Amino acid sequence: MSTCVSLIPPLFEESCLEDYLKSGRTVSFTLRPTANELALFATPLDADFRTGQPTSQNYPKEQDVYVTCWDEVPTSERRLFITDTSIIFAAFRALVDHVKTNEPELMRAMEYMTAFRKLAGDYITHIQECWVHASQTISRPQEDTRFTGEHYRSMYTSLSIFQTLYLPEEGIDDVPVGDELLEWLNTHFIEPSTEEGDQLSALEKPWEDETFWQYLIRVTLRGLTKSSIFFLQALSQHPSEHLQMISEKLVSILEKHPRQKNYATEKEFFTASRRWKDRAKALRLELDRVPDDDRQDEFENWWDNISDLLGIIEGRAEVLQRVCVELGGDWKEIICTWGVWIDVGLRRAELPDIAGRVMYDVPSDPSSKEDSLHADLFLGRPLQALSVAHDIDVWLAAHLADIMIPLGLLDSETDDESKLTIRDQYVIAYADYLQSDPGLWRHTVDYLCSCGPVGHQMADEILLRVPLRLEESAGKHDAETSDGDLAEVVKDINNTCFEYQREPVRRMICKVAAQKLVMMKKYGLAISYCLSAEDWPGLGRIVDRVLNEYIAHGPSRFTSLVADIAPSLQELQVEPGPHGVFVQRLKFAVRYAEFHHRSRSGAVDYAALDLISMFEEDLAPKSWWGVLLNDSTPFLQNESTLYFSAADASLLLRRLEEVKIQTDHGYGDDYLGVLARTMNLTGAKEALKRLDVLRICLARYFARCILKGKSRIV
Amino acid sequence: MQTSLIQNAHNDLVTDASYDLYGLQLATCGLDQRIKIWSLDESSGNASWNLEDDWKAHEGALTKVAWAHPEFGSIIASASFDRTVKVWEQVAVDTDQQVNGSGPQSGSRWVERAVLTDAKGSVRAVEFAPHHFGLKLAAISTDNHLRIYECLEQPSLSSWQSAEEVDVPALPSATQHSVTGAHATATATPTQTTSALDGASAIASSMTMLAQQQQTQTPSRPGAGSREADGGWCLSWCKDRHWGEIIAVGCGVSGVVKIIQFSPSHRPVTLLTLESTSAPQTNTPPTRPTGITHAQIVASSSTPETSTPFAVTSVAWAPSCGRSFHLVATGSRDGRVRIWKLRPGMQADEQPQADNAGDGTEERWTATLVAEFDDHKSSVGRVEWNITGTILSSAGNDGRVRLWKQTMGNVWRAAGQISVEQTEERSQDPDIDMDENAGAE
Repeated sequence: MSTCVSLIPPLFEESCLEDYLKSGRTVSFTLRPTANELALFATPLDADFRTGQPTSQNYPKEQDVYVTCWDEVPTSERRLFITDTSIIFAAFRALVDHVKTNEPELMRAMEYMTAFRKLAGDYITHIQECWVHASQTISRPQEDTRFTGEHYRSMYTSLSIFQTLYLPEEGIDDVPVGDELLEWLNTHFIEPSTEEGDQLSALEKPWEDETFWQYLIRVTLRGLTKSSIFFLQALSQHPSEHLQMISEKLVSILEKHPRQKNYATEKEFFTASRRWKDRAKALRLELDRVPDDDRQDEFENWWDNISDLLGIIEGRAEVLQRVCVELGGDWKEIICTWGVWIDVGLRRAELPDIAGRVMYDVPSDPSSKEDSLHADLFLGRPLQALSVAHDIDVWLAAHLADIMIPLGLLDSETDDESKLTIRDQYVIAYADYLQSDPGLWRHTVDYLCSCGPVGHQMADEILLRVPLRLEESAGKHDAETSDGDLAEVVKDINNTCFEYQREPVRRMICKVAAQKLVMMKKYGLAISYCLSAEDWPGLGRIVDRVLNEYIAHGPSRFTSLVADIAPSLQELQVEPGPHGVFVQRLKFAVRYAEFHHRSRSGAVDYAALDLISMFEEDLAPKSWWGVLLNDSTPFLQNESTLYFSAADASLLLRRLEEVKIQTDHGYGDDYLGVLARTMNLTGAKEALKRLDVLRICLARYFARCILKGKSRIV
Repeated sequence: MQTSLIQNAHNDLVTDASYDLYGLQLATCGLDQRIKIWSLDESSGNASWNLEDDWKAHEGALTKVAWAHPEFGSIIASASFDRTVKVWEQVAVDTDQQVNGSGPQSGSRWVERAVLTDAKGSVRAVEFAPHHFGLKLAAISTDNHLRIYECLEQPSLSSWQSAEEVDVPALPSATQHSVTGAHATATATPTQTTSALDGASAIASSMTMLAQQQQTQTPSRPGAGSREADGGWCLSWCKDRHWGEIIAVGCGVSGVVKIIQFSPSHRPVTLLTLESTSAPQTNTPPTRPTGITHAQIVASSSTPETSTPFAVTSVAWAPSCGRSFHLVATGSRDGRVRIWKLRPGMQADEQPQADNAGDGTEERWTATLVAEFDDHKSSVGRVEWNITGTILSSAGNDGRVRLWKQTMGNVWRAAGQISVEQTEERSQDPDIDMDENAGAE
């Protein structure tokens, strides 16, 4: 993250910034809202550049735009790791939320601590798998450069020691921790190597090898009793009788080394340990009696080495510390063997103190983040530990912080200003990283939504930017029936919004989708989205667009478009709501399309009914009255059939009169504007003239009505 | 990691670029007076940006291009040295007659919808308002005027009304007095229904403002706003709906950013002035941020040269995402990137109750400088936030884009950089295959 990305092709040679600036150029950029990318480009140095006139250009004419990501985009392995561990994260959150809601006082009860430990164990298992996998694929050149096997190994050791220190088995932390620490050390920092042991065991006189004593002391220190005993027994062949005797006694002591797991109670274990140490002290007296001239063989001062070995068994802290350093071990080796040799009753609570003292003499390695993290965990400094973990991998800091909250290691209060906890800040930092892969948006949202109201609003920003892929779904839609289905992605986003109760952003997404579909002329789908967003003005605008299609392209295209939107009308009529005026407009569009459809398909009677009903039910907007009146002319002119009753005809007359009066008053455009546009007329006045025909037709129609005695004139 | 390269994007230097909301389209503009729209193609497995449309947009070099919220459609605004702002819309090809350019055969074209010609100088920046305020845009030009336009006919986009026009230097700085004074003016003229600066009372108050402005201005400043080369530089809308329409504006060479609030009920008010010059303690407005606490900050007292006038050429308002404060970043010619934390004051309907008065809630807006970086060591031309306001980025005349992140303890820290300088190691870098990153045609 703090590294420097260099772009290709470079804009200037190394150390030639001056020349680059002299050519009148600098750089600028814009952030891409997804994928943690930015576009970078050369830009004029002087923001006062005046015109686009080609100046005396000291730079190439063609200008490139670079697109670059500032995080490493997750490889498929990393993605898998992210996805898999997100499931554990969700389980962990669910458990914590459950306890918090139902029995917050039991958060650290044995039952829940065991569950937390298990989930932490699940994380560890996944990291271990990643480590193994990444170590195997290290030779593949295109693989991840950052998340190497070594990287996962350091996460593996760190999360393991966190589990050992803070998530004790069965939730009981007030028990001796020595054996567990030694096990962690032996699992993750294997010393001495098996090869060394194999080599030495192949020798007839292993003590003649220069590594023999170091090896023997270290296996003993690490509690690898079998190896210790094997090589101590080998000393029975040593020329010194004293050594033969002492090593034989050491074997018998080590064979009886009391280990915690073999004792039912702590008291029995402590008593046994004390007695056992007394035997070692007794052996010390015998060792001291070995005459000086028999303390050395041809190769080494065996006495010193045996003395160190015995010193460790006796529980002498200064010997253990010195020997560890001499063997090339570090502070971890000292602390993790402390509870086996020095203080068998060592508790977790005492570790920060012991660790502090040990690290005073044998400090941690500041150049190794992993070692610093281990040190902070041993020293009981969760805040510092998180900071280092964040430098190792934002994943580690986020998940550690998440576990630390229920354990009470972190303050769970939110900061007054930022409204975030420390945990939230690390989780958000991880979510920032997840954004480098837009395909991981669900996970980004999941993590952000665990961070209180601020996190939820951040998640909104992510949700809003998930590409809707409407083109694909709309294309599919054509092939199938137009049942108003939403695109898959939108359904997916909708579900996420429901899950986290992000209704406003869900509506916005649907609104935008509707807008895009209108541009694609997928009006039926657009209305589905509008309904989902409950965007009634938007619905009105779509209907207007459809009606505009009639104005621009005439009835045939219009009717087919309305066929697309008609089903949504039924849906709307079923659910009454505060959207009357817009539904009315939709109703009009549907009825008007029906009218055209019927008149073209020969159902003229019904078409006439449709036409009249649009006036009767006040469906037709005033702006469309002129069009409808004009449409009625052919019906009135039909010589053979009287399609309208006299009452209907008189309704038409009244509407015509109103249009005329309003036009005389200068409001003609409100009534005749649409007609003028459909007929390509210059304005309302001209449109009104066209309706003169209708007036004559109506007069004749009334006459025919009287003759046929169809009805009396109202 | 470089993900793509658009080769030969423009035939002269690019002046601005902007992604749409989804980051699937990129608009670029340049000295060549053209706008180009690029769309992301991921079908080949490698990301490439293909030219979607390209047209001559202005009679002068372009300075900015900005996207409207997609709720309103596919709309961009462009600003230029030809003193205009233009609004463009992407439409399906068959319905519109007036098309621009000769892009490849896609199903849509960009058409000019409006030309806004009020500016008396080059328009340096344009930005659409957050969508909840409707389809509005703000533009700042070298005539020192900040203009806000509102679209009156949304489907056609043809009619834009000038909703506000503010002479930025003439608007009084937010001293404690002027802020309360402005509130007083607003309540004293309750019958005033227009926010435009016309009518006798408005003239009178402009005179007052001017007088106040003259009082607060340091005489040594070399004619701020007098030369076109200074003028208005940059603007950024507050993304939050809660506080109303607020814009951060950088104007002139006084190193000041004004936070201006617009409201239908009163004339524009400077809520706050972010002033980073420091050295002479005289004539310092009371709202000058104090309480700079973090070690990361280059203490302004230790840099006396910052008293030299300079222009703030870039400002960016971070999405607040429900935080109780706002973050505003500035980039300026003194070579600094600054991050200001703004704490909103109370709104009119949140007047202090008797029982919570004195609980520390300020009536007026306050600001604190929370970070200041001189890493660019030279003029900073651009600052920009990511969508959650957690990462700041900046570009400077060191030829680098730098990233900044907040760490625990609210300390902002460098978090990476992007360079276009050749390095030895790069020439051997095997992992980027140029041929895979197809440019435009």
